[in-house]
Amino acid sequence: MKNIYLPVSGKIEEIIPQGRDVSLFRVRTQMPLDHAPGQFFMVSVWGAGEVPISVASLSGEDNTVELCIRRAGLVTGAIHSLKAGDPLWLRGPYGNGFPLDVSRGRDIVVVAGGIGMAPLRPLIKWFMKKPEDVGQVTLLYGARTPDEIVFREEMEDWKERGINVLLTVDRADEGWKGHVGLVTGLWQEVHSDLKRATAYICGPEVMIKAAMGELFLFGMPEERIITTLEAHMKCGVGKCGHCYAGPRYICTDGPVFSYREIKNYSLLLSR
Amino acid sequence: MKNEWILEKNHLSYWLRQLRKERDLIGPLRDEGKDIVFRSVEQIHEVILDSPASLPSPKEFLIPQYDPMLRLKVAGHELAFPSRPQPVSPDVHMKESFGKKRVLDLMDKKKRVIFGVRSCDISAIRLLDRFYLKGYRDPYYEQRRKNTLFISVVCNNPDPTCFCIGLGTGPYLEEGFDIQLTDLGNRYFVQAASAEGIKTVRGMSFLFSRPRKTDLDDQYEVFLSAKARFHKRISLESPRRMILAGRLKDDFWQKVAARCFECGGCVYDCPLCTCFTVTDRRYPDGVERIRLWDTCLFKGFTRMAGGILPNEKRVLRTMRWYYHKLIHYPETLNKFGCVGCGRCAITCPGKIDMATIATEIKGLALNGEEE
Repeated sequence: MKNIYLPVSGKIEEIIPQGRDVSLFRVRTQMPLDHAPGQFFMVSVWGAGEVPISVASLSGEDNTVELCIRRAGLVTGAIHSLKAGDPLWLRGPYGNGFPLDVSRGRDIVVVAGGIGMAPLRPLIKWFMKKPEDVGQVTLLYGARTPDEIVFREEMEDWKERGINVLLTVDRADEGWKGHVGLVTGLWQEVHSDLKRATAYICGPEVMIKAAMGELFLFGMPEERIITTLEAHMKCGVGKCGHCYAGPRYICTDGPVFSYREIKNYSLLLSR
Repeated sequence: MKNEWILEKNHLSYWLRQLRKERDLIGPLRDEGKDIVFRSVEQIHEVILDSPASLPSPKEFLIPQYDPMLRLKVAGHELAFPSRPQPVSPDVHMKESFGKKRVLDLMDKKKRVIFGVRSCDISAIRLLDRFYLKGYRDPYYEQRRKNTLFISVVCNNPDPTCFCIGLGTGPYLEEGFDIQLTDLGNRYFVQAASAEGIKTVRGMSFLFSRPRKTDLDDQYEVFLSAKARFHKRISLESPRRMILAGRLKDDFWQKVAARCFECGGCVYDCPLCTCFTVTDRRYPDGVERIRLWDTCLFKGFTRMAGGILPNEKRVLRTMRWYYHKLIHYPETLNKFGCVGCGRCAITCPGKIDMATIATEIKGLALNGEEE
């Protein structure tokens, strides 16, 4: 009998710090773990426990997966105390992943807040890999402070490759010359017709709610306003009940949902 | 030929002793207090068949309260862990070279026969089957389910809290059981439905005789009398419609939540509550990954990274419990998430059990108090 709870061991190849308390862990596994943007793994350190972490990389040919993890609690704290060469255990990938058919031939608006950039990074990589499939890609990214911006160097590269990268922070420091304020204050900088574009959103729940609501008011159709939700999870496979919201399990029915799917479920968005 | 037999009552303990040779025999026993619990049976005469509902339900033999899943074996000297399990601090964990560790599957493969189960609990297990074995199949549940034989008994003396009759989950079953017994005074009417149940009875066919017309008549009479004995006649359909139609006042759930003690008793005793948490427990020679019953009524149940509590308000947690059973279960599995066993009514100190709340909602409709 196949045991879905049995993790496989991976080896941390590289740990790349990304702003305060956040690091990108590149993990190599013996067998390939094919994953799609928007999916997640249950990641564990034996003795500390398991946590759901979204994939931050595109599935490649080299058996690696990148996980962008913020030091937030017991398990992520244990993960952060690991070094390159240490084992990290994975099972998955789980979840539905981002729908890509709704993006074909359209301008894309990616809205991210804080570490909410992590699941959207493979999506941006995908659009850069297939530029003929989509129109203009705009990234609106907000962080609390400039030193909490993740993938900062990579974003420069994205800019050079034609992505309209717009950054904002809640609180500026001395060196900061960019925008200050909420990401939802940057709509006027998006040079796309929002009615015809597709949006992918991830960040704190208040930001998701605000961004989804505003894009809907701008005339973007509900099924093209897409988000991915975070929840406490213990199993990742629809059994433990922790991520249950409305009649849905965020782990197996999501974590990616369109505005149409979640707007009526008060349990989901007014949590 | 129908899979129906007669078992003389004085053959019962012999039959159970024979079954015990191949399986662990579990039955309803009275514990030191006065609760009825399902436990391993030492003395067959101690099994109580006309007992009130057991607390908790026999679900604990398919999804135990404490359920070790996996064990990571490591050589003792590599870990400077204390001998007793202790809370883990983030800076202590396993560091060891890649690929040398061995993960053992702690799958429980014990064969069991659970005797004296009520019809409502069998109905609940049939729903658990659909939940645990859809999508990703839960291997621990599946293994135990495969190795467990249930012998259920038709209830002819429902508790005052029972309301299975309104839900079609009891007091007797037409299908879906392994073996069902009906007490006919000096003998049992025995029915087998599942392949394993049929095999079990046929394996000891010398104990069983074919039923006669009078036996069938007697069984029918027991069915009728069982149905007539219920104190409560509750349908969950009208409360469901009231909720869906938005006919409850805003403060209805506030009032219910105000009476919730957040003890989790209803969840632990409910044969259909399945939520669990997973935690790692450290030992000198390794780590065990175990799962434990958990409840959505606790504030920390949905706690996210950074300490965000999506269901911080108690009313949201109370509603979650009722909505799951009354609204979402019918949406996803086409059945109510309640079999009318009445255990929550026995346990709940705030008297906000399913029967009480369903009756209250219905009362609002009858009195025209709703908006």
